[in-house]
Amino acid sequence: MSVLLKNIIRFILLILFQVLVLDRILIHQLVNPSLYMLFVLLLPFNLPRPALQLLGFLLGLSLDMFTDTMGIHAAACVFIAYLRPFILNILSPQGGFEGTQRTPSVTSMGTSQFAIYVSVLVLLHHIVYFCLSVFSFSDPLYLLMKILLSTATSLFLILIYELLFFSRK
Amino acid sequence: MRNLIIFLRRYFNFFLFLLLEVICFVFVFRTNNHQRAVYLNSANGVSGKIYTKYNDVQYYFHLKATNDSLVTENMRLHNELASSYDIRDTTEVIKFDTLRKYSNDTARKVLSTEVRKFLYREAKVINNSVNQEINTITIRRGSKDGVRPNMGVIGPNGVVGVVRSVSENYAVVISLLYKSRGTGNSSNFGVSARLRNSGETGTVGWDGMNASYVQMKDIPRSAKLHKGDTVVTSGYSAVFPEDLPVGYIDTFYVSDKSSTAYTIRLKLATNFYNLQYVYVIENLLRDEQTRLEDSTRNLLK
Repeated sequence: MSVLLKNIIRFILLILFQVLVLDRILIHQLVNPSLYMLFVLLLPFNLPRPALQLLGFLLGLSLDMFTDTMGIHAAACVFIAYLRPFILNILSPQGGFEGTQRTPSVTSMGTSQFAIYVSVLVLLHHIVYFCLSVFSFSDPLYLLMKILLSTATSLFLILIYELLFFSRK
Repeated sequence: MRNLIIFLRRYFNFFLFLLLEVICFVFVFRTNNHQRAVYLNSANGVSGKIYTKYNDVQYYFHLKATNDSLVTENMRLHNELASSYDIRDTTEVIKFDTLRKYSNDTARKVLSTEVRKFLYREAKVINNSVNQEINTITIRRGSKDGVRPNMGVIGPNGVVGVVRSVSENYAVVISLLYKSRGTGNSSNFGVSARLRNSGETGTVGWDGMNASYVQMKDIPRSAKLHKGDTVVTSGYSAVFPEDLPVGYIDTFYVSDKSSTAYTIRLKLATNFYNLQYVYVIENLLRDEQTRLEDSTRNLLK
């Protein structure tokens, strides 16, 4: 399957999964898991940065349409889309990642690199998202707990996703 | 000039980032602070349709609970019919109608004529959230059915929220579960409520923690409170009629020693977890009331 087609399908499925499944699961008030930003994380390495940011913006806006949180998801997605190349740069070995695979994954980056890459970006996403949606620092503990617990749950979901769709090519 | 262009090209990515973020922030602050109709939300065509489809499936699993609550409510309404009205014949077409009260003797004189003030419309809930900071409910009734922003919404058991934006076929309701931004009294969404027994009024708001409980503030310490007392709407706001249940007192405390007011934790009358049908309330005399209030306020300025 071509990379383009794969990403389009992933875009639609992740948004539907987020809206129809994850947003309806009530674990606790402090735990709002999300998986949709995986789309931004798994875009190909060689995508130009403006395209990356615009795709993040599009993804965020489409989700905002469903959740009535106009602009909040979009702001968080653009933020991680902007920072993604920097993180990848820091993590990449001399001369970049090996050219056989063009998208970030466990096989192309190595387990520990990929884990750091995903957790940093997911954490950043949640920080922006919850700062904007809670929008008050009057209760920092509440905000902090919400960010940390939601990040942990999201990372767990991403782990499951990786186990489900693991490919060794 | 050339240097400027080089500078812009060099930091193009950063400027694009800034531009996109600014757009996002404009969306956030414009749409979240004003009670205006927005089109890019779950009241629009695509997401509205998907939610309707989803709800069609989900609806079957709640049929039993929904039936039960509707039957209970029917019973309550029947009771009210028998006890307080002579004739009740209202369809959706009739907007203004009157209720005449007659004297009981043989003369049957007209004692008073009452004008209909509140009109109820039923609406199906197609999307509902309880775990966000600002929780919204999407309903399958829109401007075609006469729903307009700022109408009150109630469920079978009590208050639900206020209509915020409306499209042709759908409307988005801000539920009572709206965590106030900022601290203290600057809460931007609160329902004016009253203790049913003693009559003290206060404001009900949500602290964002648990979707079954809300907080009520501004009740003076002189009030006598008991666990389980009913809190009802005050009827001051022109959005809700009087005496609709909001919640029941769970615990109450004084936030600090110097405070003169109780903070009360209320168990919500409405169960937001399994909302299926709601009623949109139109106040037919609302324009008149707000016009009068506004003109008075302008005079006092």
